[in-house]
Amino acid sequence: MVRFNMRELMYGLRRSMTSPNRNARTAVVLGRLLGLAFTICLFTGLYSHFLQEPASWMHFPTQPVSLYKWTQGVHITAGIACFPLLFGKLYAVFPQLFQWPPIKTPVQILERASIALFVAASLVQIFTGLLNTFQYYPWPFPFKQVHYALAYVIIGSLAVHIGIKLPIIARYWRKKDSYDEDGTFLVGESDYVPPSKHRVAREKLATYVVSKDELEDPALVIPAEVSAASVTSRPPKGIVGRIFDWIDRTPDVDVKTSRRGFFGAIGVTTGAVMALTAGQSFKPLDRLNVFAPRKLAYGPNGLPINRTAAAAQVLETAMDPGWQLVVSKGSAIRTFSIADLMAMPQYEAALPIACVEGWSQLAHWKGPRLHDVVGAVGATDSEQLKITSLEKKGGYRVTLMGSEYVHDPNTLVALHLNGERLTIDHGYPARMIAPGRPGVLQTKWLSHLEIVT
Amino acid sequence: MRLARILLVGVGALAILLGAWVMFDTVKPKSIWGLLTWLIAAVILHDGIISPIVVGISVGMRRVGRTIPAGVLAIVQAGVLVGCVFTLIVVPEIIRKAKIPKNYTVLPFDYGTRLGLLWIAVAVLTALVVVVYLRTRRRTPAAVTRFADN
Repeated sequence: MVRFNMRELMYGLRRSMTSPNRNARTAVVLGRLLGLAFTICLFTGLYSHFLQEPASWMHFPTQPVSLYKWTQGVHITAGIACFPLLFGKLYAVFPQLFQWPPIKTPVQILERASIALFVAASLVQIFTGLLNTFQYYPWPFPFKQVHYALAYVIIGSLAVHIGIKLPIIARYWRKKDSYDEDGTFLVGESDYVPPSKHRVAREKLATYVVSKDELEDPALVIPAEVSAASVTSRPPKGIVGRIFDWIDRTPDVDVKTSRRGFFGAIGVTTGAVMALTAGQSFKPLDRLNVFAPRKLAYGPNGLPINRTAAAAQVLETAMDPGWQLVVSKGSAIRTFSIADLMAMPQYEAALPIACVEGWSQLAHWKGPRLHDVVGAVGATDSEQLKITSLEKKGGYRVTLMGSEYVHDPNTLVALHLNGERLTIDHGYPARMIAPGRPGVLQTKWLSHLEIVT
Repeated sequence: MRLARILLVGVGALAILLGAWVMFDTVKPKSIWGLLTWLIAAVILHDGIISPIVVGISVGMRRVGRTIPAGVLAIVQAGVLVGCVFTLIVVPEIIRKAKIPKNYTVLPFDYGTRLGLLWIAVAVLTALVVVVYLRTRRRTPAAVTRFADN
C-alpha cells in the first residue's frame, strides 16, 4: 500500500513539473553544448596549470605571443557560458529525481551517486571560478588546488555519465527521432508517466455526449463506465491530493511554442552573458563590457593591475635609489643598476598581460632583452632561470622560467610600459615580460635572476 | 556501444580517482571538509530550493495565464531567465565591491546600477518582442486557432 502511494506521489510530482522541454532530447541538445564547454575549460585550464607548474620535461610555445591571452580568455568566457547551459540542463532532467522505487538495480546506486557528484562539483566549480575572476574567496578551502582537483573529478564524472546514458544519448541524438510530427516528445517506456486516473476519467466524460432530449428521456441508461468515470473524476481528498489535482488541471502549453521559447531563452542568455563580459579579454567587445570585473586600459600606465606595490610590501625596497638587479650563474655574479640596464640596447615588444583570472590586454614594453642580461654571466640556451621578486611573501615571489622563454627575443627586462617609465604598481624599477605566459609569472619588482641547470 | 560504455565509465572512474588523489595530496583535510559542505549545499540549494520554486512559478504562470497566449508566456519567461542569470552572476560582484577590492582596477564599475539598468532593458525588450509577436500572430490565422486550443 505504502509502495503504491509513494509511486503515485512521485508520479504526481513528475506530472506537476511536466513541460515540453523537460525531456531527454533537451538534455542531449544542452548536454552536447555543455560537454563542449567543459572540455574547452578542461584543456585551457590544464594548459594554464602546467604553465604555472610545469613538469621538468615540459616546453611551451612562445609564439603566438597572445596564445595564453586566448586560451585563458576562452577558459573564462566558456566558464561563464556554462551558467545558463548548466541551469537549462538541470531544468530538463529535474523530474528524473523523482522515481519510485528510487533505485531499481545496484548499478543505479553508482549512477545516482556519480550524477550527484557531477552536479555538485560542476555547480561549485563554475561559481567559485566566477568569484575568482574578481578575487573573492568566501569559502573554507583554497581555490587554486580545489579548482584543479575538481576539474578531474568533473571530467571523470562526465565520462561516467555519458557512458551510463549512451543509449539514451544515441536514441535522442537527432531531432527527427525525438518528436512526432506534432512536435510531441517521443517518451521512452521507462520514463513514461501515466496520466492521473482523475484526468483519464475527465477525458472519458468529455467524450460522452448526450443531447438535452435524451437526458429528459426516463428510459436513458447511463453506461456503467461513464458513471464510474464521473465518480473517479471528483477531486481527491486530502491536501496533497487536492494540490496535485489543482496542478493536474493546469492547461497544457503548445509544445512547439514552448520549445522555441525555451531554447531561445537559453541561447539569448548564453550569448548575453558572454557578450557583456568577454570585453575584459577581447578588445572588439570592449564597448559591450558591462559586467566584467575589469575594464581594458583602466589602471596605471593604461593597464589594470592585480597585485599592488602596497600589497606586495615593496613600496620602500622598490623605490630605493641604490636598487640593483643581481644576476648570477654559480659563482659568476653581475649587478645592474637602473642606469646599467638603460645603457644596454633597448628593444620594444607588444606583449599582452594575460591574467589567470581572465582579463588580458596588449601592452607596449621597452627594455633590454633578458637574453642579453643573462648573457653577462654566461648563460647558455638550455638553462632555466630562477626569478626572485622584491615582494616580501606570496606564492609567486620566486618562480622558474623555462629556457624557451629566457632566450626568446621578445622576452624583456621591461623598464617602460606604454611609452612611460613603469609605475610602481606595474613593477618599477624593472619587471619581467615574456610572450605567452600567465600574468602571475610576469614578475614585477625584480630583485635576483639566477641561472639554474 | 557496449565497449564504448565500459571504456567511458572506466576512464571516467580513473579520472575521478585522480582528482581525489590530487585533492588529498594538495588540500588539508579540514579544507576538504569545507569543500564537502559546499558540494552538499550546492545540491540542496539547487534541487531543494531553486528548482521547486521554478516549478511553482511555471505552474502558477500556466494556471493564472490561461487566457494569455502561450507565446507571450514563453517570451516573458525568457526575459525573466535572462534577468535571473545576470543577477546570479552580478550580485557577487556587488558584494565583493562593497567589501573594497584589493585595488581600484578590480571591479571598476557600479554593478548595482548596471544590474538595475539591465532589468529595465530586459523589461523593455520583452515588451517590444511581445508586441511584435502579437502583431505578426494576428496576421497568421493558423496560429490563432492553435492558441485558441489552450
